[in-house]
Amino acid sequence: MLVDAFFELLNLWVLVAALAGIASGIIIGAIPGLGPTMAIALLIPVTFSMEPIPAIILLLGVYQGAIFGGSISAVLLNVPGTPSSAATAIDGFAMARRGEGGRALRIALYASVAGNIFSCLVLMALAQPLARFALDFGPAEMAMLMLFALLVIVLFGGGSKLDALLMVLVGACAGIVGLDPISGTPRFTFGSFAFDNGFQLIPVLIGLFAMSEVLLQAFDRADEVSDAEMPPLKRSVVSLVELWRMRVTLLLSSVIGTFVGILPGIGSTVPAFMSYNLARARSSEAGQFGQGAPEGVAAPEAANNAVTGGALVPTLALGIPGDAVTAVILGAFMLHGLAPGPFLFRDHGLEVYAIFEALLLSSIPTVILGLLFFRVAIHVTRVQPRHLLPAITILAIFGAFSVNNSLFDVWVMLGAGVLGFLFRSSGFPLPPLLIGLILGAPFEQSLRQALLTSGGGFDIFVGSPITIGLVALIAVSLALSLVLGLRKART
Amino acid sequence: MKFTRRLSLALLGGMSLVPSATLAQQDYPDRAITLVVPYGAGGTTDISARQIASMAEELLGQPIVVENQPGASGTNAMRAVAGADPDGYTLIATTSSPSFVTPALRDVGYDTLEDLVPILNYSGPYHGVVVQVDSPYESLDALIAGGKSDGVTYGTAGAMGGAHLAFAAVATQTGARLQHVPFDGAAKATAAVLGGHVDAALVPAYRDLVRDGQLRLLGVLDGSNDPDFPDVPTLKEAGLSAEFPSIVGIMAPAGTDPVIIQKLEATFTEVASSDEFKSFMTDLSQPVRIMPGAELAKTIEENLVAYREIAKDLGN
Repeated sequence: MLVDAFFELLNLWVLVAALAGIASGIIIGAIPGLGPTMAIALLIPVTFSMEPIPAIILLLGVYQGAIFGGSISAVLLNVPGTPSSAATAIDGFAMARRGEGGRALRIALYASVAGNIFSCLVLMALAQPLARFALDFGPAEMAMLMLFALLVIVLFGGGSKLDALLMVLVGACAGIVGLDPISGTPRFTFGSFAFDNGFQLIPVLIGLFAMSEVLLQAFDRADEVSDAEMPPLKRSVVSLVELWRMRVTLLLSSVIGTFVGILPGIGSTVPAFMSYNLARARSSEAGQFGQGAPEGVAAPEAANNAVTGGALVPTLALGIPGDAVTAVILGAFMLHGLAPGPFLFRDHGLEVYAIFEALLLSSIPTVILGLLFFRVAIHVTRVQPRHLLPAITILAIFGAFSVNNSLFDVWVMLGAGVLGFLFRSSGFPLPPLLIGLILGAPFEQSLRQALLTSGGGFDIFVGSPITIGLVALIAVSLALSLVLGLRKART
Repeated sequence: MKFTRRLSLALLGGMSLVPSATLAQQDYPDRAITLVVPYGAGGTTDISARQIASMAEELLGQPIVVENQPGASGTNAMRAVAGADPDGYTLIATTSSPSFVTPALRDVGYDTLEDLVPILNYSGPYHGVVVQVDSPYESLDALIAGGKSDGVTYGTAGAMGGAHLAFAAVATQTGARLQHVPFDGAAKATAAVLGGHVDAALVPAYRDLVRDGQLRLLGVLDGSNDPDFPDVPTLKEAGLSAEFPSIVGIMAPAGTDPVIIQKLEATFTEVASSDEFKSFMTDLSQPVRIMPGAELAKTIEENLVAYREIAKDLGN
């Protein structure tokens, strides 16, 4: 089977499709606001006339490329191209400021490829059993898992726990605006139809990270402006030994990314931050994190790329997509006669395995294209901020508008920009706010769904082995954080 | 010199004023038409609308640009199109939810029947009542009986959607305790019933999971049987007076010239009845269900009334 599938790939069009998909994915991912969802949706009609295998490879190449591409602008400009690369910006941009932008990008690239390969192998070997396992995660399990994720973000993010908690709450409060997920009625919309949809993630992200960066640099220009202080570009070679030293971080991050990817509705941003915090907590040089630690770049990149393979597990094995991107990919599979669901592997095993093998092999063109792309992109760090900022502003407005073709989103973006500027200049961390916004609404929904199914009884949150395990994890991390805090206070 | 220029301008102006109405009809379309889709790019509504648009533009001789305006369950886009110029150059490909479900619940800023003209219906996925295959409920009657004795939970794609309201009506009629659990999209409701977290789910796209023996289909919410499962009853056939007819159709702003509406109806009907479109929709697991504009308007009107009643019972 695997060999037959490989022969399907010996076709010039497959190579062309993979290259075109990955290259356009990287570029789209690097531009804030343009995510893989829209890119894939708009490319689907282009693939109508193509054979199924190259068509799907093209679209999945865009998916993988875009998740990685987001890290390029995150590292070089401190402007994450996609939400999932916000974690990469923390240490990636710090490295770029030291003139190590090239090295940070290479680490991001290799970590991305590692995450991809890991999750793809999992997808090939275990798609069906894992899809069944994902079904065991009902509302109660999801609520406990999200609570655990929020705790990890607050307790192990470094910096003040109170600050992080406050920011999570600000994000969660922003997530309340819109239609109530259970009763379906508008709340906190001030009677305005525009608010019915709530604050969308992408405009808020662009505002918080891109627009606030513009405002920060515009108002606080002391150390940025003169040519003399531009750091010279340093050598950017990453040795194999260096990657080998990160093996545990890469593996753990890939596992987190794949696992969270399999579960519906969490996406790739949360596992990126969880992996970052875990790497920081495990590191002997935790103080380096935030100041440009290579592992701080590798951990989130491995995790957010590993999500791609994980997210395809329930999409392909059950026909149940977990998020917007996989829903679009599901449509593409259907249009090419490969209807995802229980019959996909039985009826179209050859095509599916050929696609999986192509996903594995696409690591090679990803590395080549990535390295080529860096040679050009790295020079962005030598452009003076005052020349760059207008371009970022235009992209931010354009990106916010393009999500829903709505001017309201542009105002949300600008508002989030001012808020982000105020928070950053007064020293509050933004990532917990982002996580609060992403997880707040689904956490509320899962909690209330669980209580609806249990008839209001809280015993449902310790009613299955999975929830008991998660509650235990929550207790352990609370205890751990308390012990660490006490030990720190004593020394 | 001056006089003649003024005269010719006046003449030109007069000429262009008088017959413009008839000219607009004859020349229509003389520029690109915008077809708004109230959901994000890549969903089934979007994909099928793009296909019907690309096939219709060959007959109309002008491009049809598909524009996605997602948000607020489609009501944002409906409101925008309802307020657009009724010149035939702005159309919307829309579904049940923003046509007669949400407008029955609250003010959405438009009245589907007064502010829009239905052109035709071309699809509409069947929503089924599904349970896990080892569930004790073998039929709709058994499910309702279970609801009366122990209470039953059911998941849907979202709060106050058509499926939820239809089952809320069933609960009122039968007195069964049917507890609704809204999910964020039909896919997650399907996952929840597969995992046994809810007793039943009211979702589309169940075919392969039923055929594979993972789910059991007890009934369909539509007014007619699902051709893939002709023996499975509709709610009405099972003796329950509720239904959720699923529509996917094209509408224009009210006040659009009837001649233009007729031309569009003829063109889109021709395209939607073609074999090419049917096989495309089969690949997408979506039915082709053609209904003329007048009939679609009637369906919407009937359901607006029915859903307003249900909403009143729910206390909205």
